[in-house]
This record gives sequence, structure tokens and C-alpha cells, in this order.
Amino acid sequence: MKQGLEKKRLKEFFSKQILSSFEKNNFNFTDLDLLIDTNLLTERSGEQFKKTTLTYKDLLGKEISLRPDLTVSTAIKYIQEKKNKEEKYCYFGTAYRLDKKGNLKVFDQIGCEIINSNNKKSQINLINSVLKPIKKIKKLEVTIGDIGLFKILVNSLELPERWKFRLIKHFSRREYFEDLLKRLETNYDLNQQTIEVDTKRLKELKKMDKNQFIGGRTVFEIIQRFEKKLKDPRDNFKGKKNVKIIRDFLKINLPIDKAENAIRLFFFNHNLRNKDLAIYLKKISSVNDALGKKYTIYFKTNFGRNAEYYTGLVFLAYVLNKSKLIEIARGGEYDTLLKTLGYKKDIPAFGGAINLNQLINL
Amino acid sequence: MNKIKLGLPSKGRLKEDAINFFQSKRLIIKNSFGERNYFFNIEGKNEVEGIFLHAKEIIERINDGTLDMGVSGLDLLKEFPEVYSENVKIFQKLSFGFADLVVAVPKDWLDVQNMADLEEVSFEFREKYGRRMRVATKYPNLTETFFLSKGVSQFRVVASLGATESYPFTGSAELITDITSTGSTLKANNLRIVNDGNILKSSACLFVSKKFQKNNFLKNLK
Repeated sequence: MKQGLEKKRLKEFFSKQILSSFEKNNFNFTDLDLLIDTNLLTERSGEQFKKTTLTYKDLLGKEISLRPDLTVSTAIKYIQEKKNKEEKYCYFGTAYRLDKKGNLKVFDQIGCEIINSNNKKSQINLINSVLKPIKKIKKLEVTIGDIGLFKILVNSLELPERWKFRLIKHFSRREYFEDLLKRLETNYDLNQQTIEVDTKRLKELKKMDKNQFIGGRTVFEIIQRFEKKLKDPRDNFKGKKNVKIIRDFLKINLPIDKAENAIRLFFFNHNLRNKDLAIYLKKISSVNDALGKKYTIYFKTNFGRNAEYYTGLVFLAYVLNKSKLIEIARGGEYDTLLKTLGYKKDIPAFGGAINLNQLINL
Repeated sequence: MNKIKLGLPSKGRLKEDAINFFQSKRLIIKNSFGERNYFFNIEGKNEVEGIFLHAKEIIERINDGTLDMGVSGLDLLKEFPEVYSENVKIFQKLSFGFADLVVAVPKDWLDVQNMADLEEVSFEFREKYGRRMRVATKYPNLTETFFLSKGVSQFRVVASLGATESYPFTGSAELITDITSTGSTLKANNLRIVNDGNILKSSACLFVSKKFQKNNFLKNLK
């Protein structure tokens, strides 16, 4: 393990080299804010966000957080600068996160982001830009995943809409996702006794003004959801079957050149149809065409569940040291993040960063 | 020799029940300095020095070492950061002060039977109204932890100081979490408990500081 001054020198050396490589690929350096309005993040991710960030209140009671990663800071910058066209950013800075025990973890990240690009090749270009400076690392391996593919799988299953919504929404929360699967394969989620009582009350509600608010929700909303729930019961057997399909799907892990066929076969064998599947398979095959010969790449369906804002393609570059995985770089697609941070609509966005702390210790 | 410092709740039913508990162990609480004075003694036990405090403060004082032991509610200990439980130990769960901390929604939310429904409704609410659902509570930490464990992430806690049951009907919150022993106050205020919304089963406890756990005086209380 390198110490003090040597570490500092190495960081300076690598950051200059990497930023210069990014700039050659037309990424523009940007200086990002260290502090983020906590409200922006809790509105997006909910209260659990605060458990992983260093947050404090100013004298007026406003909550401010140290940036937990630089992707979010870049997205906020894009919004604050009122951009509306493609922007290619690169940055170098520190991110601050709390681990499960509340200890502060500090990461030096150097990365790049492409926001609002309609260029189909932008994702591959970005992965290439991030991997290029670390290409010479011995035994470097890359894992690719695609959250969008999981959404396609869930949408192809015979499940009530609310269950599809739940499974997709909580894919990134591993523990809770596992709880959901267990519930899906064992329990019936309507309590018949309560339903009978409530159906009587439903008649009375139907006589009320539909726009009247009850605890912040309209009578119309309550009736609509209640009736939808009654009409959309979950079959216990299908629950079990679907959970098995999901679990089997999440076991797919193979070299990227074999992924397209294996996934196509998986959908075929389980009699699952989805018109968008072909688009995703094409995406996997284009990653293989562009990067497959330069790097050792695996495709893993269970990968990319660490950040809630990822929506599509995700990647991780790492080395295995005595079976310990050392993460060197990671990134992915986050098409819905900007809207949740205040941008007027969803726009395509893709980014990736190199973990400088790991790089200098190699 | 340092005196043993004991804290008891300063008012209400909890104070009465705590005094009765000590009496049942032949430890008679005496207001030696007058009814309105906060300090007390135990008859024949000069080694003990007592003080009546707010139940929440009893836990604070055991944690900082000002008190050696005291009676308070389990709900109050659990609401403090986890680190408190390292210093404040449960010596005995007592047979009074029973109450559950529960999640309650307006009774006319027919479509919300369980926490999974709440999770789904909270996302729909945010989509529709552009803000998170508000949960009024006197227990923000327990509420946050419980909601997150049930997958409900789209909510915001509103700190309540009292009359929490009224919040959903005054526009200050959409739902609540509160302490209840029979559920009748919730019912009277047009609220119903969510099926799997039991956050904590609480009762009064005799708490001791970590350093005091092996003190001989505790033998009187078994």
C-alpha cells in the first residue's frame, strides 16, 4: 500500500494522463460543486439516501449533503446551466459516502459523462474512453449488464401490473427484492376478510364527491386503485413459476460473444415474447463488436444493481487479486435521473468513472 | 462510596406503575423533600438517590452515565440512535406500559391493506402530486427504518409533538405512525392500522447502564 506523498504524486500523475485522454475524445473538463441540496436527492431516491451521505443542516434548517458521487453532481450542473443539447463532460474530484456502520468512505473519481446525446454510438464511445487509460492493466476484465433487459423480462411475464412495477422499481434494492420474490412465490396478497368489509364501504364511497380528498388522496384515486386490485389478483402457481424464471434469468453469466444467443434461447424456452428484445440483443452484440476483441468481457444479467438511477447498459472494469475483486472503473446509462433532479423531461445520459484510489494501489 | 442513581418517570400512569413495581419488591419510594420536589429516596436504602425525570430523559441520562438505572419505555430507547443500546441495557421488561408503535392510514383508504400497498401508493402519489407522502410521527427514526425495510422509500417524515391522529385530516400529513395500546383512539379518529404495519411492541423496562449491570442492588429487583 502506497503512502502519503507517493500517493499524492501518483494521483496527480494519473489524473493528468486520464483527463488528457478524455479531452482528446472531446470531453470538456468541468468543476463540480462539492455540496448538494439534500432535498434534490431525497425527492428522487427517498429518505434512505440520507443513510449513505454525510448530511447536515444549515442555520436556517436547510439540509445539505456532501456529494455521494460525481454523476449526480454532473447532472445537476447540466440542469443549472440550462443546457438543452448534447454535452460531453469530464471531471476529477472526491465523493463521500457512509457505509452501513456510518463510517465515512472517501473516493477519488475521475470520469466522463455524455448527456442528451442522440448518437447511437455514444455509449460505446464512452465505455471505450473510460477503459482506454486502464487498458494496459494486467488481467483487466470487464462485466457488462443491462437493467433494461431485466425490465423486458418482467414485462414479458404473466403478472399483475402492480407486481411488475414493484419488481422493476426495487431491482436495485437487493435485500428487499429478495423479500419481494419470496412474497410472490408464497403469499396471496389480498386479505379476503378485509376485502369483504371494504367492498361494503366502497358503495358508500361511490356516492361521495369523487374529487373530495381523504388524507391527501382523492376518492376517485382510492376507488380506482381498489377496483383495479380486486380485478387483478395474483395466481399463486404463476407466482412460483415466475419467480423461478426470474431467478434463472439472473444466473446468466457468460462471455459477451455468447450472450446474445443464450438470452434469445432463454426467452424462447420460457415462451416469453417481447418486441423490444431484439433491440437489446442488438445492443449487446454491438458492444461485443466494438470492444470484444480489445477486452475480456462477460455479460451478467444480475449486474448493475448497485445504483438506483441506472436504467440500461452498465459496466464494471476490475482485476481479480487472489479471488478478491478490485473495482477500477464503473458506469452506466441513467436516462431518468435528470428529470427526477428537475429537468423538464427524460433525456439520454451515460457516464463512467475510474476509481483513482484503487488504480494507484495496483 | 458513590450512591446509586435511579431515575423514575415524573408523571402519569408510568410514574404510578413504576412506583408500584418498586413497592412490589419491598422498595418504598419516599418523597422526602416534599411532593413537588423531584428528588426521592428509598426507605431503608440510603445507598440509593432517586430523581423523577421525563421518561425520554431517563434514557439520555443512563446513556451519559448520570444515572445508573431507571424505568422508561422500550419505544423511547429504540428511537434513539443504535449506539445508545450499547450503553443502556434492558435489565427487565416490566408488565406495564404496553403499547404498539403502528402505521395507520385514513380508514377510507380501502386500497391500502398492507405495506406493499403503501409502497405502491407512495410512488403513484409522487408521480401525481410531485412530492413525497408525509408521515406524521413522534418516532422519526423507528418510522424511517421500518418504512425502508418494507421497501417504502417515497415518504417524508413530519415531526409531530402531539395529536398525531389529526394530521391526515388537517392537510399536514397523509398518514401517521403512533403508539397505541387498544387502537381505540386511532379508530375514533377515522384511522386504521395497516395489516403488517406493526413497527414495535413496546412495554416499560427497567434499564441499567452497561457499567451497572452486575451491581448487587439489582438482586432486590429480580
